[in-house]
Amino acid sequence: MIDWSQNLDVSQVSTGNELPQITIPITLQRLVMEASANYDLSLMHHDKRAAKSVGASDAFANTFFLMGMYERLLREWAGPTMRINRIGNMRMMSFNVVDDVVVFLGKVREIDGNSITIDMQSAVGERITSSAFAVISL
Amino acid sequence: MATEGWGKYGTWEETESFLGNVIAVSKGADAVEYGSIRKWLESKQFHPPIHLNKQAAEQAGYRDVVAPRTMAFTYGLPAYFSEDSPLEQSGDSATQIPVPVIFDLPAPCIRSFATSVDIEFFADIYVGDRITCTHRLTDISYKTLKVGSGAFLTQEDSYTNQNDELIARSELVIFRFNSPEDELRKKEEANND
Repeated sequence: MIDWSQNLDVSQVSTGNELPQITIPITLQRLVMEASANYDLSLMHHDKRAAKSVGASDAFANTFFLMGMYERLLREWAGPTMRINRIGNMRMMSFNVVDDVVVFLGKVREIDGNSITIDMQSAVGERITSSAFAVISL
Repeated sequence: MATEGWGKYGTWEETESFLGNVIAVSKGADAVEYGSIRKWLESKQFHPPIHLNKQAAEQAGYRDVVAPRTMAFTYGLPAYFSEDSPLEQSGDSATQIPVPVIFDLPAPCIRSFATSVDIEFFADIYVGDRITCTHRLTDISYKTLKVGSGAFLTQEDSYTNQNDELIARSELVIFRFNSPEDELRKKEEANND
């Protein structure tokens, strides 16, 4: 459980700190719920046949889901008052398909006043599926 | 050839005529509201009170329930079907998420994939807000990759609320291309004409 009464203070953060990782299984039900909620209704995100036509082995998570999971990673680490200023250079490297278990990871790269830059990745086992950096203010 | 893949078909000269210009404007289908925020959180099993509860949001310094910042993408999307859309029939191609740099911008390519997204946030999104997204073509960079030849096209999206306040600005880079097989078929078709 997350203690949402706590806010991270910049004095508690050091370069190289790792954010608590999030593990989330990609189930077909999650993909359907996600597509409905984020309104990217492209078939490849919930239909195996459509996904195969673009080279994936099964239906795969969309970009909005990955963006949202990066937001979750940051919010659960830093607390309610943190502001996300940028999610930069997000690259999609491989598909996050049904039955994958995706881990979202983050590591503090730089601290400048109350502004913190964090490098982030999603991975399935050893395979990196996306990467990005975030700039937040505490 | 234009009918075999997807994307608006045209010449590179037509593509270049859009450089620096607005390609499309999307009016978000729905105002920001509690139910859509809750559903967006639910699929991620993410339950921060600032996005669900007014008192918790106010305690954290927000003026009301605030939407997750990356929901700008969702609230900037137009409806898939409008009142004058024809009834979707079995066998029709599914309506795609609108990506103007693919579907509204002419280019001599039938394939595409996204390579990167970058988004900066400038203001919070609150319950009741209406988001509009203005899409511009800001860069064309021709390239041949293993998958084929084409160009990286950069679409800049500016998200504004009902007060014309800039909420977020993103850059989406899409590679539009033809595979070597597509190019071969194109030549054969040209020879047959």
